[in-house]
Amino acid sequence: MQKKLWIISLSALLVLCFAFTAYAQTTTIRYFMWDPEFKDLEQGLIDEFEAENPDIEVEFTALEPSNYWPKISAMASAGELPDVFNMSSGYIDQWAGDGLLMNIQDEVDKLPQDDYFTKVFSTLRYPDKESSDMYGIPYAWVTTVLYYNKDMFDEAGIDYPSDDWSWEDFRKAAQALTIDENDDGVAEQYGFWWYGRYAHVEPWIYANGGRILNEDKTRIAVDAKAKEALNFLADLSNEYNVSPPKRDIVGIRQQDMFPLQQTAMWVDGSWNVAHVRQMGEGAFDWGIAKVPQGPSAEAGEYEAYGWPDSLVISKESKHKEAAWKLVKYLIGKNRPLESYMAGKVPINKSLANSDEWLEKDKQPAEMNIILELGEMMGRTSFTPGWGEWRGYADTGGAGMNGVLDSITNGEMTVEEAVETFTKYGNEVLERYYPEE
Amino acid sequence: MRYKKITPWLFLIPTLLGLIFFRLGPMIAAGMASFTRWNVFSPPEWIGLGNYIELFNSDIFLLILKNTVIFTLVFVPGVMVVALFLALLVNNKLRGMTFFRGLFYLPVITSVVSIGVIWSWILSPRFGLIYQLVNKFFSVARLPSLLGDGRYALFTLIFVYIWKMAGYQMILFLAGLQNIPYMYYEAATIDGASIWQKFRYITLPLLSPTTFFVLIISIIMSLKTFELTFIMTQGGPNYASSTLIFSIYVNAFKHFRMGYASAMSYILFIIVAVFTYLNFKYKDRWVNYSE
Repeated sequence: MQKKLWIISLSALLVLCFAFTAYAQTTTIRYFMWDPEFKDLEQGLIDEFEAENPDIEVEFTALEPSNYWPKISAMASAGELPDVFNMSSGYIDQWAGDGLLMNIQDEVDKLPQDDYFTKVFSTLRYPDKESSDMYGIPYAWVTTVLYYNKDMFDEAGIDYPSDDWSWEDFRKAAQALTIDENDDGVAEQYGFWWYGRYAHVEPWIYANGGRILNEDKTRIAVDAKAKEALNFLADLSNEYNVSPPKRDIVGIRQQDMFPLQQTAMWVDGSWNVAHVRQMGEGAFDWGIAKVPQGPSAEAGEYEAYGWPDSLVISKESKHKEAAWKLVKYLIGKNRPLESYMAGKVPINKSLANSDEWLEKDKQPAEMNIILELGEMMGRTSFTPGWGEWRGYADTGGAGMNGVLDSITNGEMTVEEAVETFTKYGNEVLERYYPEE
Repeated sequence: MRYKKITPWLFLIPTLLGLIFFRLGPMIAAGMASFTRWNVFSPPEWIGLGNYIELFNSDIFLLILKNTVIFTLVFVPGVMVVALFLALLVNNKLRGMTFFRGLFYLPVITSVVSIGVIWSWILSPRFGLIYQLVNKFFSVARLPSLLGDGRYALFTLIFVYIWKMAGYQMILFLAGLQNIPYMYYEAATIDGASIWQKFRYITLPLLSPTTFFVLIISIIMSLKTFELTFIMTQGGPNYASSTLIFSIYVNAFKHFRMGYASAMSYILFIIVAVFTYLNFKYKDRWVNYSE
């Protein structure tokens, strides 16, 4: 009996010893991701990474964005941030500013720059978007494009949007595409659809070379070119009635207007390619184009509006080297293309330029336009507190978004709206930048 | 088996611990947080009364406070009148009455999410049932957008919330009604009292304990409203339908302004406390606990 006990305890000790040495050799890093939909694909990628790096083990968690942010924030306050995690362009300034993120500029500099869409890196610089160091690196990016219904264009007998379209051309097309058969003032088919959403408005402002923030991005400061863009949009709603008032678009998701053929044109994020494909499945022919350049933009200097989805490394991470290895792998060309929703672009150029990403057999035929826009990325308007002053997602009825909606409803002029959201926006920004 | 003084407390430990850690603890923590600026991911920074000062200098907060008060002032009488009316209807001993009782109660147990979504569809100016019907018979091109227009959004929410919750208060009133002895009505009939007089002088006074209870839970219900706002209007347009709870949620979990949101919670706490105090103070004037 005693002998048996000895054997058991000895072998248990042996196993423990082995386990311990094995444990001591591997580095465990934690990785949090905000897209559970792609959890399996991501896990596959991580498995490959672990196979290539037997000394690194990755603990992977995927959470819905609504759970992701509270969880990550709580972990940050407890000093237990994962080594690697997702970061959005709207939050990075706050996180970098609070000293939670690792400065990865030196590592990024070692990457072969030509392999990546480096133009979208600027969002991740802090504090200055042009010259400061990077605190995160994108794995994907998106931009905003003009969606148009080819069937409706054919019906109206007008040419599809071209690169040299002026705003005037756009407006005329929108008028021709607006159909109000019973003449009751409510069109059955609208030429265009916009409201205060950031992905609806900012593309026009930037395409006109406009700015809604001051140079340092510490205060709201709407310049003349931006006002020109807002006036152009306001006239589409109120003067020409080619876009519905926001208050009428209730009980339908804004992104369903175009696929349900309620409107002939629509400007929104490129990731909606996936949505339009799925919802408009075979019902009509459609394409994408650049948002027309505004009359006040510098000729030949097109400013596209887009932003990345990124990976960051915690400043407190004990395994920064291993973490960077993982990040490098996750942004590399091994990432499966299926993990990008159609219209989201891999940061790696060889992946983005592949036939699998361009999907020539599917609509829209012009996916290459998105890639072209990637080389023309301009400024963005992200600041600390952006979601609050801009009015974003669940709070779309608030902030600048809500105020701009009032323009579409004919309740406010552009001047009044600008004054209102400048005041509220600056109240938010003053909390982060007490002195200008 | 002998009981010591400590014995009951031993049995109470699980409950007490729960109460202390999951109720009292967070309440105190929120009270402390309300004096700080705290974005959750960085350590809180003490700013004294800063949050409260900011709140009362904010046009948006004052609008939200006003919305909350309007919500309560319209919802509470509204839901009580509707519920009492329904309760009187289903208090008849007719065949199939249980069916109607169930029917009126159905919205209460239906998920708020589906109710919110379906009412949004019904009220959609472009696709909604109501608009299609009205347009068909009267051909009015542009009806007011009940959810999308800042002038109506809050009242539309109140209406849908009454529609959803009235069944609950109805059941309470029904229980109260059935406790009123039938002999009073018989006596009144013999004396030649009209239906209105019976309602006014028998039903209402004898129902008052139930009414008092319903009043309190309706007030609390109205101050707690969140899901419908979240699903139907998201507080818009331009904060027109934002109420305190919704705003607390947005500030805490969307803008990560925990301190500011905690300050709002404490203001809500004070409002609830004041309402409850007034209720108990003045209840003797109109509530009859007869027997």
